[in-house]
Amino acid sequence: MKTFEYTIKDELGIHARPAGMLAKTAKEFDSEITITKGEKTVGAAKLMALMGLGVKCGDTITVTVNGGDEETAFEGIKTFLENNL
Amino acid sequence: MKDKIFGVLQRVGRSFMLPIALLPVAGLLLGIGSSFTNPTTLETYNLTNIIKEGGLLYTILDIMSKTGNIVFDNLALLFAMGVAIGMAKKEKEVAALSGAIGYLVMNTAISALISAKGGVEAMAANSTTTSLGITTLQMGVFGGIIVGLGVAALHNRFYKIQLPQVLSFFGGTRFVPIVTSIVYLVVGIAMFYIWPVVQGGIAQLGQLVLESGYAGTWIYGIIERALIPFGLHHVFYMPFWQTELGGAMMIDGALVQGAQNIFFAELASKATEQFSVSATRFMSGKFPFMIFGLPAAAFAMYRAARPEKKKVVGGLLLSAALTSMLTGITEPLEFTFLFVAPVMYVVHCILAGLSYMLMHIFGVGVGMTFSGGAIDLTLFGVLQGNQKTNWIWIVLVGLVYAVVYYFVFYFMITKFGYKTPGREADDEETKLYTRKDMNARKEAVSAKDGAAFDRVSALILKGLGGKSNLSDVDCCATRLRVTVSNPDLVQDGLLKESGASGVIHKGNGVQVIYGPHVSVVKSQLEDFLDTAESDNVDALLGETNCEAPKQEEKTNKTEGKAIELYAHMNGTVVPLEKVEDEAFSSKVLGEGIAIEPSEGKLYAPCNGKVDMVFDTKHAINLVSEEGCEILLHIGIDTVKLGGKFFETHVSDGQEIHKGDLLISFDTEGIRNAGFKTTTPMIICNTDDYSSVEAVGTGVIATGEKIIEMK
Repeated sequence: MKTFEYTIKDELGIHARPAGMLAKTAKEFDSEITITKGEKTVGAAKLMALMGLGVKCGDTITVTVNGGDEETAFEGIKTFLENNL
Repeated sequence: MKDKIFGVLQRVGRSFMLPIALLPVAGLLLGIGSSFTNPTTLETYNLTNIIKEGGLLYTILDIMSKTGNIVFDNLALLFAMGVAIGMAKKEKEVAALSGAIGYLVMNTAISALISAKGGVEAMAANSTTTSLGITTLQMGVFGGIIVGLGVAALHNRFYKIQLPQVLSFFGGTRFVPIVTSIVYLVVGIAMFYIWPVVQGGIAQLGQLVLESGYAGTWIYGIIERALIPFGLHHVFYMPFWQTELGGAMMIDGALVQGAQNIFFAELASKATEQFSVSATRFMSGKFPFMIFGLPAAAFAMYRAARPEKKKVVGGLLLSAALTSMLTGITEPLEFTFLFVAPVMYVVHCILAGLSYMLMHIFGVGVGMTFSGGAIDLTLFGVLQGNQKTNWIWIVLVGLVYAVVYYFVFYFMITKFGYKTPGREADDEETKLYTRKDMNARKEAVSAKDGAAFDRVSALILKGLGGKSNLSDVDCCATRLRVTVSNPDLVQDGLLKESGASGVIHKGNGVQVIYGPHVSVVKSQLEDFLDTAESDNVDALLGETNCEAPKQEEKTNKTEGKAIELYAHMNGTVVPLEKVEDEAFSSKVLGEGIAIEPSEGKLYAPCNGKVDMVFDTKHAINLVSEEGCEILLHIGIDTVKLGGKFFETHVSDGQEIHKGDLLISFDTEGIRNAGFKTTTPMIICNTDDYSSVEAVGTGVIATGEKIIEMK
């Protein structure tokens, strides 16, 4: 299992569009990927739940990756966040 | 064929907008600056003490005048570049460079011929000018347009050209400036012989007008207006304003020649009881149609624009109308309808000519510094008193003109369907490809042998991990430089199969080495990325080794009876593929359907519960009784409104029933703020269903069935 923290820099936060892209990215991996904000933890591949977190600019989220391809998944999600959010 | 010509003309007209957008500002600078640095004006109003040559105020006004003027002086260059940019299909920056080169080369060729034939003195009077320091023929904006259109044609034809290997460095976009310089060298030589004939015709027309009375004034007016598009009106009226052609008169014991000179001499003279209409007949006619007529025409265009475009168009037209009214710079307005509706311009010319004639008949004696705006009317008409100028007729005729222009323009636009601003068929240009188009293309590609290029691009794209993996594509002398989101998806084998001699990885950067013809490869790839089939390279390439990470198929599809969702708004159904936002149209978020609302109310499409209302109130998540996850998103990009124009009527966790009002919003406000109100309904957990089918079409009312899922 691998985890990392990430602080959102996009001024609009995780709204519909980035959430869709994030969910799509997360689906590409076998590993189970979860996103935690505060006390809520959701599956990164679940678009609706992801939007439900209501992540804003400046919020810090914790990403947890667990599974067979966790190395690639870890890098993949990290790169995605750095490039898009 | 007719449609095609019309389409091209429309694009030409639109390509003028970039340089034209600059004119109002330049016009204001020039108008204010030159009026108050004109010695006659200063003396007339006893401003010589306040605005002194060399003084601060004078210098500022002078700078305004000159910086404004430089734009008009170089309008031809701006058009050469602007039109080339507007008409080029791709790689527009190269077209801009080529436009500048074409313009310089053409004028330099003309210049060289002028000196070879004996210099400016050997040419007809007033037929030459200096442009960018080059002595050349007076061609006005028309010279720039010749360059712009020609360069764009060359550019679109050659920007992907492939040259033999040894010369391949000069291929692709690099070839465009090269071929432009050679072609315009020849065009310049041709123009040297052709253009004087055009100018000769103009000079003869001037003579004709002078010999006639009222009718002559009318013809003068028509010609003056008709020459505006060619930039030749200055050539035409300057002789009337500045030379004996416009009359000669003894004023205060001195012989004064030229209409404008006569007017300003009379203005300065204390003996003047009334301004000579024989001189102002060449000027006063501008006021009624510039201050009243054209702004009314602008209003007609605004009224005729489509509702959702009115905001944008209103701004454009208002600034153009104000410019015409205040300064008498009419080009911004005239050019907006000249190219899309030449017939309207003909009508405009006739009415403008009539305006000159009416001013002549009513004995109006108002002159001007350079055009007929309200500033000049005030300075040289109103302030001089009605006894001297009869300026009241300008207002009387002007009011009639406003009415006439408004109704004539509105009638013609709506009757003949002219594509004036805000009426363009932009759905044709910004068309989003539907699945049907894509299938048709796929068949076309597989049927065609000559699809080799697409295959190379498809290989590259697949090798780079697909369209979604690309974040940036560029090239240097020999390498394609790409930034990808996930470098692990890059497959070197495929890239080499596409003709690359090597691949270099650096973090997220990937360099694919092709050699000097890389700029062609890049252009082809960019073209390919714009096509619909690039979304689906795998299908296109068939069985070519495919080890892209496959997502596990979900098997626990919801079994049983169909789930139905009902229209979430009153309005017109828009298929999701046609929504003008890739996040929705590409179905990244899931399947669904959109509605263009006819009123600002969003209703529940089923029974269920509110999962979350977005802070920004523009979207809401629902979970239906059956567990279907639904996103309702009002408008496109409306997250940026930060909640303005929206009002929510439900809160998180609340139970809802089909048809409950969820959110109300101000459609006008949102549209006026520049956003679309198209409202997609997305099934976020599309993967849980074996099919999600959009069944609603056309005009729909809340409660009608719109989606069926199994």
